[in-house]
Amino acid sequence: MIRRAARPSVAAMTITTDVRHAVVAKGLTKIYGQGDAAVHALRGVDVSFATGAFTAIMGPSGSGKSTLMHCLAGLDTVTEGSVTVGDTEITRLSDKQLTLLRRERVGFVFQAFNLLPTLTAEQNIRLPLEIAGRQADQVLFDRVIDTVGLRDRLSHKPSELSGGQQQRVAVARALISKPQVIFADEPTGNLDSRSGTEVLAFLRHSVRELGQTIVMVTHDPGAASYADRVIFLRDGLMVSELIEPTPQTVLDTLLKLEA
Amino acid sequence: MLKTTLAGLRAHKLRLLLTSLAITLGVGFIAGTFVLTDTIEVGFRQKFTADAAKISVAVKPKDNPEAQEAPTIPADALERIRKVPGVADAQGLLQGPTPLLGRDGKAAGNIPTTAISVPTGTLNRVIVTSGDFPARPTDAILDENTAKTRRFAIGDTITVLDTKGARNDFTLVGLFDTGVNQNLAYTGAVGFTTDTAQRMTGAKGFGEVDVAGAEGSDPARLRDAVAAAIGADYEVKTGSQLADELAAQSNVETSYLTLMLLLFGLIAMFVAALVIYNTFNILVAQRTREMALLRCIGATRAQIFGSILLESVVVAILSSGLGLLLGLGLGAGAMAGLDLLDAPVPSGAAISLTPRTIILAVVIGLVVTVGAALLPARAATRVAPIAALRSQVEEQTFKAGLVRTILATLFLLAGTGVTIAGITMDGGGGDALIVIMAGGALFFLGVLILSPVIMRPLASFVGWLPRRLFGVPGSLAVDNARRNPKRAATTTLALTIGVTLMTLISVITATTRATINAQLDAQFPVDYMISEQRGPDSRIPRALAAALRQSPEVGSVIQMQRAEAQLEGSGTEKFQVGNFPASPDFRPQATTGSFDGFVPGTVALVDGTARSLGRKVGDTIQLKTEQAGTVTLKIAATFDRDSSDLAPITIPQAEFDRYFGALDDAAVYVNAKDGVAPDVARRAVEAIAQPYPTALVVSSTEIRSEFEDALDMMLMIFGGLLGLAILISVLGIANTLSLSVHERTHESALLRALGLTRPQLRRMLSVEALLLGLIGALIGITLGVVFGWSAMQTLPFDILFRAPADLILLFLVLSGLAGVLAALLPARRASRASIVDALAST
Repeated sequence: MIRRAARPSVAAMTITTDVRHAVVAKGLTKIYGQGDAAVHALRGVDVSFATGAFTAIMGPSGSGKSTLMHCLAGLDTVTEGSVTVGDTEITRLSDKQLTLLRRERVGFVFQAFNLLPTLTAEQNIRLPLEIAGRQADQVLFDRVIDTVGLRDRLSHKPSELSGGQQQRVAVARALISKPQVIFADEPTGNLDSRSGTEVLAFLRHSVRELGQTIVMVTHDPGAASYADRVIFLRDGLMVSELIEPTPQTVLDTLLKLEA
Repeated sequence: MLKTTLAGLRAHKLRLLLTSLAITLGVGFIAGTFVLTDTIEVGFRQKFTADAAKISVAVKPKDNPEAQEAPTIPADALERIRKVPGVADAQGLLQGPTPLLGRDGKAAGNIPTTAISVPTGTLNRVIVTSGDFPARPTDAILDENTAKTRRFAIGDTITVLDTKGARNDFTLVGLFDTGVNQNLAYTGAVGFTTDTAQRMTGAKGFGEVDVAGAEGSDPARLRDAVAAAIGADYEVKTGSQLADELAAQSNVETSYLTLMLLLFGLIAMFVAALVIYNTFNILVAQRTREMALLRCIGATRAQIFGSILLESVVVAILSSGLGLLLGLGLGAGAMAGLDLLDAPVPSGAAISLTPRTIILAVVIGLVVTVGAALLPARAATRVAPIAALRSQVEEQTFKAGLVRTILATLFLLAGTGVTIAGITMDGGGGDALIVIMAGGALFFLGVLILSPVIMRPLASFVGWLPRRLFGVPGSLAVDNARRNPKRAATTTLALTIGVTLMTLISVITATTRATINAQLDAQFPVDYMISEQRGPDSRIPRALAAALRQSPEVGSVIQMQRAEAQLEGSGTEKFQVGNFPASPDFRPQATTGSFDGFVPGTVALVDGTARSLGRKVGDTIQLKTEQAGTVTLKIAATFDRDSSDLAPITIPQAEFDRYFGALDDAAVYVNAKDGVAPDVARRAVEAIAQPYPTALVVSSTEIRSEFEDALDMMLMIFGGLLGLAILISVLGIANTLSLSVHERTHESALLRALGLTRPQLRRMLSVEALLLGLIGALIGITLGVVFGWSAMQTLPFDILFRAPADLILLFLVLSGLAGVLAALLPARRASRASIVDALAST
């Protein structure tokens, strides 16, 4: 059962009032440290991510975009508020339950250190399924492999792949388990522009063709322009958003925020 | 640069401590050895000096290797000494075997109790701890330990056999301490007045005469005067000379203990060196970026090299210091333990920490640590400055180089060659064993060099089951174990050393046990052996054997007799001649010839005697007998010395009696009648032997269990001493693993993000450690069994090779467990790490 957002945020309502959401956060607050040393990374963020959409999270350094993503993905605990992935409220889950949630329903693409050096590309792609003890859907596997164009690289170790290829393997790995949402943390941060473009195109492709939900943190307006929607954070608060962004509108919004 | 290094060390206190621990344990053991033996030596010296203070001059007979009996000082010499001007008192000391009868009426223990004379006056050195000194001819004192085990108390009547075997009753008036005299502690001791001791032992003179000088006399001058009075047949020393001599003798004994303990200490240090080498290698690999950064901002290669070495020096000094403290504790603990066990070592001496111990501990710690860090330090200088800018550390790849392959092959071939040479060496024995040990060491070095190459296939082999058993964590663990074969090799080989030696020892003990048991079964199929407590020169009356034959519980009785005789053409050399007992139960094996044709007129020789006489089966010898003159005997068989209890020259029973008369038995073997319960048979045999107090009845099971106890004891002692090396190698596994875990922080976080649960992550690391432990054990077991077999080939008789499967399996399981144990903390830390932090840190 997919739960509807009972009280969509003001921002979400501007897109649609009746859309299915893969991830919903309400009143999300994250405070690091205590007393004088307390850092308010998130100060009550309400945000929803529509199923089958590609959303980018942007904001200047220290705006809380990575923290937001970690909290949404169940990698980090929240101080206050709630996060719902699919129909599961995750802020009260145990470590074991969170692990199972990540295993079954969430995919990740990181900036670096994405692959296990001891495994081949194929083994890396199949790893989440292996961990979950599930069989790969061979049709899906073939489709993913062909989409990322890695068929001739499957038996290679990560050290024998280029940065772009490694990142495509990482994306393929995230896709193979058909998660409800994929979180991508600066997926192009370590890549040259051509490889970066490849990976972004591929991410958008998987949203369009496979109906995948993707949430991507980035500081690159060009990368953000591949998304359907961009939300902007500043000082731990969601301050703006763009639908159907272009590099120019993203840049303009950022400049306005910095001002 | 110095500041950077020290700051780095301060920042990683735990890592420093873990690294130091390996060296600390090794140095601690070596320092402890010296503390213990030094303390014992000081104690001996104090004891001897205290004793010597009572004596001005000591007189001993000169050693005479030609003499049949040990030379003594006759009573008239003592009288002459007493008359020397300046002599206040002179007392003769003597001792000899006098069996004490236990409460059961049989001689106590397997060896006769030693009688000692207790002098009166200031010259007495016997310390009576309770009761009185013996004063009357019917007084006796016992050493505390014998009194305790034989349940005698002051006031009891004790019975002691004199040299002729007659019973003498004494009143126990006191108990004394045998102190540091190991002989007396072993045999047990009974003290008499000097006259009584002389009568009981039948001694013709004294073993030593102690002289007290008159007040103010000069010991050296007195010594010369005494020497002049008694002539050149005696050694005359001052008390302090005697103390020096005794201390030197005891030091020789202590030095054996030192050597043996040091051997194990050195093994532990070698293992520690491997651990340190590995640790520094990993540290250098992990700090590639740090090194590169330092190089970027202008540090020279020499400075990088120096900083790593400096780090090792700090580790060395720290661990040597801690090791010294540990050594002091170990030494003190061992002394306390020896005291508790009532070992014949001097107690009460202060724990001795000599400058030599301190210097050795620090030097060994420094040399091993810094030496082990040299190669890693050199590797650190090769880091290119540009490495600082790379975000991801290159995965190390390993390829078997040509040099490594050639070197390993050379060592392996040399090791094999030397070992085979040792096995096939003529005569075998100790020299061959040393050759095989050298071969083993060479072979091990070969394995050490080759190990990175064999590590991957071994990990795949050993990992086959875990891969299938533990799912994803299992296969990831196997991959991890294979990823850095050099590191895995050094880690596991540290464990291999301990396991190799343990397997070796267990193979040797098991083989010895099986071989001896088989020999006992085949050549010595008797239930009970009756021997004389007073040794091979004493005899058991034939009446005992005759009485045994009358017993309904006894099946067969075998009597062994011995005589000495010369051979025509062999000078004055005396040979042991024995009878060949006629009994169907007695069936020794001949090496050449056969006992089937063993009729009067023939003789059987031990192989060695036949060889030295240059005779073989069919030749003759001329035996000079006591009652039948010289007889010519034809050699019918030769046999192995260890295969039976036969005398070197064995003749048929009938002839033995004719040549030497009806001598009493040297030993009697008894077989119970079939169907008689062992305890019934034993009671019957003991009842028949009761009138002969010194006739010891031992069952073959007792002989076996005594002998097996000795083997088990050896296995335990060696196991305990090797335990240290094994402990250090387990520390090494823990250290390697925790550093690897640190290195793979990102990977672990990634796996956790992808859905690996905490228990699965822990299991992954445990399985990796399990594999390391198992691989180390497998190599060790293989080496141990092969070289155990080689070592046993040096024995001069056929062996029944046994590799104790249960023990070896236990080593394998324990090694695996040790690995898992070592993984406990690193795995815990890895699984507790926050995923977000781990992903964020670079």
